Amino acid sequence: MDEYSALDDVMTALADPTRRAILARLAASDARVTDVAAPFAISLNSVSKHIRILERADLVRRRKLGREHMLALNPKPLDAASDWLDQQRALWAWRLGELDTILKEDKP
Amino acid sequence: MTAETTSAVVVKHRYAASPEKVFDAFLDVAVARRFLFATATGEMLVAEVDPRVGGRYTFTERRPDMGDVEHTGEYLEITRPSRLVFTFGVPRFDPGFTTVTIEIRPDGDGCELTLTNEGVPPEHQAGNRDGWTRIIAGLLPAYDGVHGAGWL
Repeated sequence: MDEYSALDDVMTALADPTRRAILARLAASDARVTDVAAPFAISLNSVSKHIRILERADLVRRRKLGREHMLALNPKPLDAASDWLDQQRALWAWRLGELDTILKEDKP
Repeated sequence: MTAETTSAVVVKHRYAASPEKVFDAFLDVAVARRFLFATATGEMLVAEVDPRVGGRYTFTERRPDMGDVEHTGEYLEITRPSRLVFTFGVPRFDPGFTTVTIEIRPDGDGCELTLTNEGVPPEHQAGNRDGWTRIIAGLLPAYDGVHGAGWL
């Protein structure tokens, strides 16, 4: 169950353009919260909310550097999402193969 | 055309049967129950199909390792024999629904089927039409450039 709720958190985190932009920014390099917030025409408070959602999904990690909070991308949860997709792909391939077997068996 | 290679799950299969025969297999409960959500060791308890737009299907299989597993969803588009779209969920594992699109085109004496399973159900797509899978793909150029990670 935990695996699925973690996946849900990742999906939720990725479903918003601001959060995707934040991830893209952090993919380039680690950054301070204020740097991450700078390009957005929304309050620092709103950006912080987005960052918290990314942290909950463990896509972003925070560390303190003096007075600053540094943010870094953690790509691991994307791998979990990728594994899940691989599983789904294998399942569907198996089902379509089963249909093939059935159609061949049923041929008069 | 619908989803391309950047989508979550795309599986192709070629059949030595007519598009009609393959299409009908998904909506004919007698055939569908044998392959659609069946596993090798399970026993299909419930197989119900209401094959019209807005109609639902339910396949519940008893599996030795995990008990009864229900697969359910709603038909969104039924265009025989070329296109079938339905939502798909396994409530036991996840309250959400994904969307499955099946496209069938004639290929010589048989047909080729392309199945696309996208992670975001239509009602959640208003704000991000393309679904989360393509979103991840969109992130990847930056992601790959820095981390060199292979993804999908």
